[in-house]
Amino acid sequence: MSKIEFDKYEIGQELPPLKVDPVTHANLVRYAGASGDFNPIHNDPDFARKTGLDGTIAHGMFVMAQIGRLCTAWADQKQIKEFGVTFKAMTKPGQKLTCSGKIKRKKEENGEKLLTVAVEASDESGEVKASGELVVVC
Amino acid sequence: MAEKGISKDLIGTKLDRYEFDVERGKIKEFCQAIGETNPIYFDIEAAKKAGFEDIPAPPTFPTVIQFWGYPKIWKDMENMGVDTSRILHLKEKYNYVKTLYPGKVSSQGECVNVTVGKMDTMTFKTTIKDAKGDTVIEAEMSIFIRKPE
Repeated sequence: MSKIEFDKYEIGQELPPLKVDPVTHANLVRYAGASGDFNPIHNDPDFARKTGLDGTIAHGMFVMAQIGRLCTAWADQKQIKEFGVTFKAMTKPGQKLTCSGKIKRKKEENGEKLLTVAVEASDESGEVKASGELVVVC
Repeated sequence: MAEKGISKDLIGTKLDRYEFDVERGKIKEFCQAIGETNPIYFDIEAAKKAGFEDIPAPPTFPTVIQFWGYPKIWKDMENMGVDTSRILHLKEKYNYVKTLYPGKVSSQGECVNVTVGKMDTMTFKTTIKDAKGDTVIEAEMSIFIRKPE
């Protein structure tokens, strides 16, 4: 992470992507414990199947956390003003995520120089799992 | 068992206020679970060198405060008519007013929107305050409830 300077970025410029190791069942059990989200659809395959899924799925927040890693690897966390995502598709164990970002907007508002970055996580087939925006104050 | 379902009447429902102690060890555990390796989240000296007062909590850490600080959320949702086995996360958004550091925080959630129909959704807004009562983070979470096949 480093201090992001407003004038050094152009719309369309891309952030260095973050490649994530394939999601494992163990990752999700560990994430459940760390986050406190013990919804069994993430850690109990039989339960997940009973609710109509074809097995466990990753926590949406695990996926968002990966995009968060992309953001903090790029920007100084103190500059991050807003970060939000919409979840588009389920992430299943075995899938390999890549997080990416692209400068979407530059504006000055109330004396703040704001850079908005479109961010997303997708799997190896290109299916977008989550996408949203990061706003940094320069 | 009564048939489950949510209604727009839930808009404005406040959940209980609660307190949570953000501990450095919990930040470390969370970072390990998400694969974060930046030393600012593990080593106070590295954090200070990078201009932080203490080890910062990473951007999605507020979820820890919400689930570990308020495990009652599942029961509350069931009481509101949500079939929690059929919930999927739809959106999550954070506004960072201040950096979240280790220490006591207090928090309270409120149901701010409900849609019923083709897709049943609920949105909760949660404000996390520090020990002085200053807002640190505002979080907005939307879920949707899958319909039975």
